[in-house]
Amino acid sequence: MMKNKKNTFIIVEAALAVMVIILAFIMYREQVGTDRFKISVIIPNSDTSQWAAFRYGLKMAAEDQEIELFIVSTGDILTVEEEINMIQEEIDNGADAIIVQPVFGAESEEKLKKFESKVPVMLVENTASEEKEMTMLPITEPDNYAMGKALAEEVLIDYSGRIEGKTLGFFTGTADSEALLNRRKGFEDALQGMDVQFCWSVSSYGASEENLLENQAKVDIVIALDNMALVKAGEVSAVNNLHGALVYGIGNSTEAVYYLDIGIAECLVVPDEFNIGYQSLTEAAESLKHYTHKMQNNIVSYTVIHREELFSAENQKILFTMSR
Amino acid sequence: MKHMNKFKPRGMQSTIMIVFSVISIFIMSVLGIVMYIRFSASFRQEIEQNTQQMMEQVKESMEDYLIGMRQVSDAVYYNVIKEKDFYDEANSIQQGMNLIYEVNRDNLRSIAVYNDYGSLMAAEPVALQKENPDVTHQDWYKKAMEKKENMHFSTPHIQNLFDDSTRRYYWVISLSRVVELTNKGVPTLGVLLVDMDYLSISRMMQQMNTSNNGQYYYLCDGNGQIIYHMKQMQINNGVIHENNEAVSQYKDGIYDEVFEGEHRKLIVKTISYTGWKLVGVIPYSSFTHGMFNIRYFILILILLMAMIVALINRVVSVRISSPILKLNESVMEYEAGEKAEIYIGGSQEIRHLGYSIQRSYEQINTLMREIVLEQNERRKSELDALQSQINPHFLYNALDSIMWMVEGERNDEAAFMISELAKLFRISLSKGRTVISIKDELQHAQSYMNIQKIRYKNAFSVVFDVDESVYSYCCVKLILQPILENAINYGVNSMDDCGEIKVTGEKKDDNIILSVMDNGMGMSEEEVSLVLTDSNRIHKHGSGVGLVNVNNRIKILFGKEYGLLVESEPDEGTKVSICIPAVPYTEENSKILEKGYMFSGEEIINREV
Repeated sequence: MMKNKKNTFIIVEAALAVMVIILAFIMYREQVGTDRFKISVIIPNSDTSQWAAFRYGLKMAAEDQEIELFIVSTGDILTVEEEINMIQEEIDNGADAIIVQPVFGAESEEKLKKFESKVPVMLVENTASEEKEMTMLPITEPDNYAMGKALAEEVLIDYSGRIEGKTLGFFTGTADSEALLNRRKGFEDALQGMDVQFCWSVSSYGASEENLLENQAKVDIVIALDNMALVKAGEVSAVNNLHGALVYGIGNSTEAVYYLDIGIAECLVVPDEFNIGYQSLTEAAESLKHYTHKMQNNIVSYTVIHREELFSAENQKILFTMSR
Repeated sequence: MKHMNKFKPRGMQSTIMIVFSVISIFIMSVLGIVMYIRFSASFRQEIEQNTQQMMEQVKESMEDYLIGMRQVSDAVYYNVIKEKDFYDEANSIQQGMNLIYEVNRDNLRSIAVYNDYGSLMAAEPVALQKENPDVTHQDWYKKAMEKKENMHFSTPHIQNLFDDSTRRYYWVISLSRVVELTNKGVPTLGVLLVDMDYLSISRMMQQMNTSNNGQYYYLCDGNGQIIYHMKQMQINNGVIHENNEAVSQYKDGIYDEVFEGEHRKLIVKTISYTGWKLVGVIPYSSFTHGMFNIRYFILILILLMAMIVALINRVVSVRISSPILKLNESVMEYEAGEKAEIYIGGSQEIRHLGYSIQRSYEQINTLMREIVLEQNERRKSELDALQSQINPHFLYNALDSIMWMVEGERNDEAAFMISELAKLFRISLSKGRTVISIKDELQHAQSYMNIQKIRYKNAFSVVFDVDESVYSYCCVKLILQPILENAINYGVNSMDDCGEIKVTGEKKDDNIILSVMDNGMGMSEEEVSLVLTDSNRIHKHGSGVGLVNVNNRIKILFGKEYGLLVESEPDEGTKVSICIPAVPYTEENSKILEKGYMFSGEEIINREV
């Protein structure tokens, strides 16, 4: 009887001691703070102004989701191998998830897919494969086809539909990608059946010859399909080497806006880069925090801006993200 | 039965432990809750005070900043533009503006003067104006022209005035006012614009918004339009919402509100000159966030106190209950007959209890002994009563005989008779003892027989054939005499001179057998069986003391296995044997037998010699 009571007493004291230890441990954990997830972002030329809104979006999402964010400082990412090496390096350095703008290439998709078994991989801007529908990795991007189409519609509006006989040239600043292909396709589809002539399609990416754009045949309209192309076209036009061609384009930097502002570009289609950054990181963070969460594709919006309403309240908000 | 077990009284120690523990837990819980409420109240108060202090500081620095801008505007107007003609004093004006700009360039983006048509009159830093900025349609210009007497602070916007070759766009807050310009001697109205760098304001706000407990600050104008919010883009995109429009109507103070289901505390301060509202938002969750550690701390404190209290409770309960439990155990052992001592220890009260119990047990023992003694006394008195029955009959007969002898002048015989009678009575008395030696008993029997022989005129003969070794054993007083009396009366009395009585004695095993044999008429078996059982038998002769009496006395004194054995054959004679234990006649044994050893439990010493 006495022994039983003694045992009960020892058990009660031991249970209380265990509870004290557990609470002290929890308290210590609260004070030290739990390790945050780390997400690495690999985008080409990450320090340039075209990524300003994207970076701002990433930063805001990282604050909201309490994520440690690494934007890898890069130059031009040339090959799939280089990109894969960078991703591997980031994973080795403790990245819990990767956000990457994939290099367009034959094996790019498969190689990226291999990483997915280790860490969540979110693509941004464009898919790794040519066929958007075939992609196996989640992606956050604007509706590139719709943007191309919208640009074409703006051209039509500006010409009041009388575009017959006009000559056009496509200009790109980056390597071929699913995004560029779809933008061009969207543009072409919108003008299908119209008597327009697509004279040339050039890319400044990897071009050895300087003054590439200046050397092209004279066209009525130059369609710049990406930000770099638009800025380049603006620069060329600013020194009157574009033979009086009108520039329409898709861009997302203050430089691109500047050429719209000073009247070199006629119309600018701006993808919502802030939300590409914000949503891609939010999605990756969710998948890290909730094991059951499967990353989804996100399509962000775009805005068509004309010079006249460049400083409207809504457009100033877009400029705000680019100016950060 | 189970129901009964459920309400089985608990042990004293458990009860003390449970009562102490419940009271301690209750007190500790109350203390813990009170401490927590007190801590959390002071913690909230502290957060509120800190927030207010910080907001006050930021408000002051923001006001200083805005006053600085106003002073810039005043300086440009009153010291540079006013009283000067733009036509012939353009350089002087430019220099003046440049001087002021250079002094304040950290906070300024540009200073510009426009005339009433919206044409640029002067600007610092000197920059290329955009092709057609159409300033008259810009908000800052319109507001200045609407209320000419006021200075107007705009909300942050992109400066849309100059062509920046770096292809960048700047966020500015415009301070605009109507000024009087002189151009070619003609006074006109114009607008002086001081564009402040938004970065200065946003930096101040960013420095405030470093807390990671959910607390944040934002700035909005009098219409609720956000000037700075750390999550401005999320608000623009509709990801999160802010109650800025409602808050812009609040006066300075502290408010409790529920916004989108979240309880929060708002601290509102108005920035002078602008009507801007600096708003501090403290969600209630941030109070609890800070309280987590205090909560854990209090819990740990309560648990540690519980451990100590449990220890103290145990020590106290053991100290209180232990003597009582020991006392209880000793009482139980006593009741089980294992231990005769009662535990005495512990506190004064329990010692007293122990003493009391011990005393009462001792009293009970004493009382029991007294009862036994009383019982023995009673038996003894019964025995004495039986013995006393003998004396009157025998004395009457003996004195009758002596009287006849004296009357017949047989003096010698009478003297012998008296001498024998004296011996008889001496042994009969034996100082009141019941137990005497066999030798004395035989002496008594001989004296009796001598008296009887004289009385019966030697009508029978008596032979004593007793082994001398049995003389020193104990015997009950006056057991032979009634047997001899019976032998005389029923055996040899009716026989004429040929009656013979023989008394023998020997030790057989552990017993002494004394026998009285006569050659009288004897008895039938029926009669023999009645001799020792029928105490109401009417005696025709003698003292009236039957063999039943003798038999009883022997059994009372020595035990039921001892007593008389009667053997008889009609016309042959009768033999009455006395069987008693061989107890050596000593003073101690005699006393033990006198007390009745069967009751006292004392062993007789040297029972076998």
